[in-house]
Amino acid sequence: MKKTLLLSAAILLTPTWVMAETLKEAFETHRAMYGKDHTFTWQGKEYSTNHPEELEARVEPTQGNATALLELAKAENKKAASVGYEWKLTRGLLKNAEAAIKEGEYQRALNLAAQAKYHARIGIEQHAYAEKNWQLSVPQ
Amino acid sequence: MRKLTLSICAASLFALSAGGAHAASEEMIAEGKAVFMGKSRGNCISCHQINDPDANLPGNQGPPMIAMKQRFPDKRKLRAQVWDATRSNPISIMPPLGKHWILSEEEIDAVVEYIYQF
Amino acid sequence: MKIIKTLSLGVGLMAVAQFTTAAGAGNTIETVDPEADRMALQNFYKKRFPDTELDDYVNGIYSVDAASRAQWEELEEFPPYEFAVEEGERLFNEPFANGKTYASCFANDGVGIRQNYPYWNKQEGTVKTLEMEINECREKNGEKPLKWGKGEIARISAYMAWTSRDNVFDIKIPEDDPRALAAYLEGKKFFYSKRGQLNLSCANCHLQGSNVRIRADLPSPALGHVSHFPVFRSKWGELGTLHRRYKGCHKDSRSKPQEMQSDIYRNLEYFQTYMSNGLVVNGPGARK
Repeated sequence: MKKTLLLSAAILLTPTWVMAETLKEAFETHRAMYGKDHTFTWQGKEYSTNHPEELEARVEPTQGNATALLELAKAENKKAASVGYEWKLTRGLLKNAEAAIKEGEYQRALNLAAQAKYHARIGIEQHAYAEKNWQLSVPQ
Repeated sequence: MRKLTLSICAASLFALSAGGAHAASEEMIAEGKAVFMGKSRGNCISCHQINDPDANLPGNQGPPMIAMKQRFPDKRKLRAQVWDATRSNPISIMPPLGKHWILSEEEIDAVVEYIYQF
Repeated sequence: MKIIKTLSLGVGLMAVAQFTTAAGAGNTIETVDPEADRMALQNFYKKRFPDTELDDYVNGIYSVDAASRAQWEELEEFPPYEFAVEEGERLFNEPFANGKTYASCFANDGVGIRQNYPYWNKQEGTVKTLEMEINECREKNGEKPLKWGKGEIARISAYMAWTSRDNVFDIKIPEDDPRALAAYLEGKKFFYSKRGQLNLSCANCHLQGSNVRIRADLPSPALGHVSHFPVFRSKWGELGTLHRRYKGCHKDSRSKPQEMQSDIYRNLEYFQTYMSNGLVVNGPGARK
C-alpha cells in the first residue's frame, strides 16, 4: 500500500513525463534494447536505431569521404572542448583516423572518425544536461 | 492502479515470450566475461560482485549480479540498463556503457549474456 | 508502454528525492547560500557515517574505514613526507638571486597562513591559491615560475601547510563583490556535474559512493578533502599538489582534464575549502 502511494506520488510529481516520448527518447529506448540496425515506429513513421554518425560512415570508403568526416569530427570536438566537456579518448580516435587515411584504410578511418564525432556530440549534450540538472545530487 | 499492475504483467509476459528465444553461444559468454572483467573494457567487476571463481576483488558500488533472470525477466530491459543506467536513475554512478560508446553494441550483447547466467 | 515508462521514471525520481527538495533553491546565483551548503554537507555525512566525529574528516577515508586507518596510522609513525617538509623549509628560506625570500611575499612572513587559502582577490577578480602566490612571489623577484603539480612547489606548499597545522580553515566569500559568490557557485556546479565518457561527477564517488568499494579502492568523503594537501600519495611515490589530484580525478572520468590552476580548478578549490571551514589544516598528508 505504501509503495502504491509512493508510486502515485511520483507520477503526480512528474506531469511532463507522462507526455509522449520524444523522438530522442524513443530512439534511445530502442537502441538500448536492440542495438543498431533495428527499426522502430515513432508517431507513425519508421526510424532506424543507428546513430547519425554511423550512417555518415556508411559511404564509399574513399580518401575524400574519410577526410571529410574526419574534419567534421574535429570541428565537433572543438565545440565540446569550448564548453569544457571534451572526452579523454577523442583526440586519440582522431589521430588514429588520420593515420588510417595515410595508410589507405578508408573504412577504418571512417569508423574511427564517426566514433570521435559521436563522442564529441554526446559530450556537448552532456554539458547541456549538466547545466540544467547538476543540482540533482546536491544534498539539502 | 489495478489497470497499471495488469499492464505491467502483460508487458512482462510478452517480454518473456519474446526474449530468450535462442541460447547464447559459449563463445559469446566467454567474450562477455572478458568484457565484464577487463579493466579497459567493461570493468564491471570494479562495482559488481559476481559468483564467478575468476572474479577477483570485486567492488560493491552497484548491486551484485545475482538472480538476474528474476530481476530482469525481459533480457532486453537488462540490456537497456547496461546501455544507459541514468535513464532510470539520473544520478546513477554507473557509466552509460552503450550511450557513451564505452562498449560496442556487440560487447554489450555479450556481457548481457554472461551476467544473465547468474 | 507509456505507463511503464512513467513508472520507471517515477522510481528514478524517488532515488533522487533524498538529495533534492525544492528545485533551484541554493543552486542559482540569486539563491546560493554557502553556509547552508556547508551545513547540508555536514548533515549528509553525519547521517551516512554516524560514528565519525566531524573533526576527524580531515583524515579522509581513514575517518570512516577502520581497516585502512590502522595501516595508515602505522605509515604516519614515519611519515613519508617528512623529508619533503624539511626540503620545503630549506627552499622557503633560501634567498632568491636578489637576496629576498618567500617570506617577503606573504602575511606573517608566510608562517601559519595556509588556512586562509584560497581567497577571493577583488582587485584581480579571481580566486588566488597558495601555489599561485608562491609562483607570483618567484616572478616578482626575478625567478622562473615552478611547475604546478609536484617537485619544489609541492615541497614549499607542504612546509607552509606544516607551519599551519591545527589552524582552522576560514575561507571567506566577501559580500561586497558578487563575483566571489559566482566563483563559489561555479566550483559547486563543477563538483556536482557529471562529465566525461564515464559520466561521473565528483559527488558520484565522494558523496553517494563514499566508502563503497570500486574494486579495491574506497572513495573518501568530500568533507575535509582539501585539508591535508599537498599530499604524499603512495601511488605517486612522492608529494603532489591539490591540482595535480584534481587533474587526475578529472581524467579518471575519461575527460580531457583542465590545466592545473585554471579558473575552474581554483573555483573548485574555493568551494571545497569553504566546505571545510571549521576543520583544521593537517597538511601535508599521506594517502594510499
